[in-house]
Amino acid sequence: MEGIARETWLHRVNPSVKLLLSLGVLISLLFIHNLNVMLLLTIVILICFAFGTGVSKKVALLFFLPFFLLFCSSVLTMALYGKGSTLWWEWGIFRVSEESFYRGVHLGFRALTFGLIGLIFVCTTHPVRLFYSLMQQLHFPSKFAYSFMASIRLLPIIWDEFQMIRMAHQVRGFSPGKGWKGFKRKLSAYAVPLLAQSIRRAYRIAVAMEAKRFKGNQKRTYYYKLSLGKWDVLFLLFLVGITGVVWFGSEWVQLLPNQDVRLT
Amino acid sequence: MTIKSGYGVHKLRLKFPGDESLLFRDCHFQYEKGEKILFLGPSGCGKSTLLQVLAGLIPHTIDVPMKAEQVMVPESSAVVFQDPDSQFCMTRVDEEIAFVLENLQVPREEMPAQIQKYVSAVGLNLEDVHTPIHTLSGGMKQRLAIASAMALQPEVLFLDEPTALLDLEGTNQVWETIRQLPDEQTLLIVEHKIEQMLDVIDRIVLFRPDGTILADGKKEEVLANHQEQLREYGIWYPGIWKDRLIYRSDEKISDQADSPLLSLRNFQVLHSGNVKLYTNHVDLQKGEWVAVMGKNGAGKSTLLQGIRQLLKTKGELLYKGSPIVQDDLQEIGFVFQNPELQFVASTVWDEVAYTIRQTSKNPSEEEINRVVQERLELFALWEHRQKHPYQLSIGQKRRLSVCATIHGRHQILLLDEPTFGLDAQNTFSLLDWLERLRQGGTTIVMVTHSEEIARYYADRIWWIEEGCLLKVSSDEEDGKECGDGGNCARDVASSSKS
Repeated sequence: MEGIARETWLHRVNPSVKLLLSLGVLISLLFIHNLNVMLLLTIVILICFAFGTGVSKKVALLFFLPFFLLFCSSVLTMALYGKGSTLWWEWGIFRVSEESFYRGVHLGFRALTFGLIGLIFVCTTHPVRLFYSLMQQLHFPSKFAYSFMASIRLLPIIWDEFQMIRMAHQVRGFSPGKGWKGFKRKLSAYAVPLLAQSIRRAYRIAVAMEAKRFKGNQKRTYYYKLSLGKWDVLFLLFLVGITGVVWFGSEWVQLLPNQDVRLT
Repeated sequence: MTIKSGYGVHKLRLKFPGDESLLFRDCHFQYEKGEKILFLGPSGCGKSTLLQVLAGLIPHTIDVPMKAEQVMVPESSAVVFQDPDSQFCMTRVDEEIAFVLENLQVPREEMPAQIQKYVSAVGLNLEDVHTPIHTLSGGMKQRLAIASAMALQPEVLFLDEPTALLDLEGTNQVWETIRQLPDEQTLLIVEHKIEQMLDVIDRIVLFRPDGTILADGKKEEVLANHQEQLREYGIWYPGIWKDRLIYRSDEKISDQADSPLLSLRNFQVLHSGNVKLYTNHVDLQKGEWVAVMGKNGAGKSTLLQGIRQLLKTKGELLYKGSPIVQDDLQEIGFVFQNPELQFVASTVWDEVAYTIRQTSKNPSEEEINRVVQERLELFALWEHRQKHPYQLSIGQKRRLSVCATIHGRHQILLLDEPTFGLDAQNTFSLLDWLERLRQGGTTIVMVTHSEEIARYYADRIWWIEEGCLLKVSSDEEDGKECGDGGNCARDVASSSKS
């Protein structure tokens, strides 16, 4: 994600530490059932995303948009179809009750925080540093790490080829037709050449890597040395801090009914 | 006659899975340290395969069944491959060389100095070694490939057609680098374009089409005694253009003075909102052959895509005197650089039939059969009609891409480097077919890097520099400016914004 983001302190956190702690946060999110805690947490994470990742406002909004849509759709589906005893509104199969509404909002917040934490990670982690860190801190097999890094190079090439195929179809007047059959024809007209090119290229890269005496399981040194440091401690403290703020803050700021959204 | 010194193979037998016959039957080849050897032969004779055996890639890395009484592989070797875009696994120059050093377990502290050493040894003069690889030109990428190969400190350096996908400038960059390597470096090279590199080598091994060795000896002897085979095998030997020069008819199909077929005025091609190419005024006459030339990334392909309206354009594009409309585009054919990306059918026959169905109104089955057969025979593809287009050789694919693109109504054929990476044989047959089309009245606009094609085949040359079609030249007139000098795409872009 270089180029679109200026570096912030989150970039300096060891990628493995960031990955594990982020996963930890994601899992602990599953155990939050209190609406006010969830609301506050969403706000804090949104602030982190907006000011901590260093991406420009335009890009941040662009990234945020799909997750916001996800939030809306989660709220709607849960609110409209959920069960509950305190009925607010009913029309045909739609049935909005107090419980279902709050459960919808809660689910929406959860989806949104999941997305935002993922975005924060992606925006502040350089892929090459991530894989070097995974190899050094978590002993991730180098065979896979270098395969992933090699495949990153292929993505822009695939995109160029996709554009070329589109132009070629335009020139040759290729019209796959409508409906399911047309869709299938269109899919194979793109997928076959793209896959054929990529598989061949991937194979050649693999041969070239082995020709450079890469064995996948050998002992190796690392050009980028990634270790643990003060930024990782700071990141941990930061997370603890967020937890504290959200936990105690939700006692004071109660914008929504303070209840457990689970069915009793 | 087993191998007593040096390296090589004795009684090598090798067969590709699915092939009917052996590629090598008791092949013997031996070489000594310090030799500089060139493998020559027609496409598909197995010279690259032999190189891979000698480098130890077959059978360990590339799984091809082989048998040999004796294989002597150097303890340390390195290979430079053909395709500059598929031999790197990292995104930046320093990381790529570091990858090799990591494999050799060089301590991290020594890496920056070593990277610097190898990068400057191959003349890769970068301000910052942390440069993204994709910003380098093809020739520079191959220099990086040589640098990372040298980082392996190989006893033998293998080069597998390292310049096949490069233009002349890139080709010269590669051989210049090889010349700078230490004298004692053993080299084993497979190459088709030998004009620029004959001084690098001292021994030539010439293969027959069936994979047997026809000649093996000093380069002067082999070159002198086998001129005929060099021509027959499609090798780009020095002086080939003189030998091959065919009679180019100079009769003009239409009067130059009359209205041009295509006319670009104040024409801009845009890509995601930016002006990528600009030309003030240029005309295309009917029956002309125009070569579009310029450096990598100058905007040659962009011009072609703009003319065919595949990218957004501004300014005037007049076709037969009036602004171009959708129907006119039917009369402009386009052949892409990578033929595979433009195939839409699953057999060679269907590929050609598809175009006919697209372009003529309700053709009868007999009509289609007749035209397809005619086309495929013309392009020598009839015997391959049942194959999937991907199964063809690169030369055949290119031929098919031209054959399947053209149809009766075409007035103009735009081609994006159609001879790129082809051996001499395929290049000349493609050029001859294009010439035949031109004589039939088709106008040809072709992006090329080859000065010879421009000189011997094209009527005029369009020179493109930094996004600007600057000059049109032909044999008679020595260049006519058609832009106002510095008025390049960048300037246009900035002026249109303000």
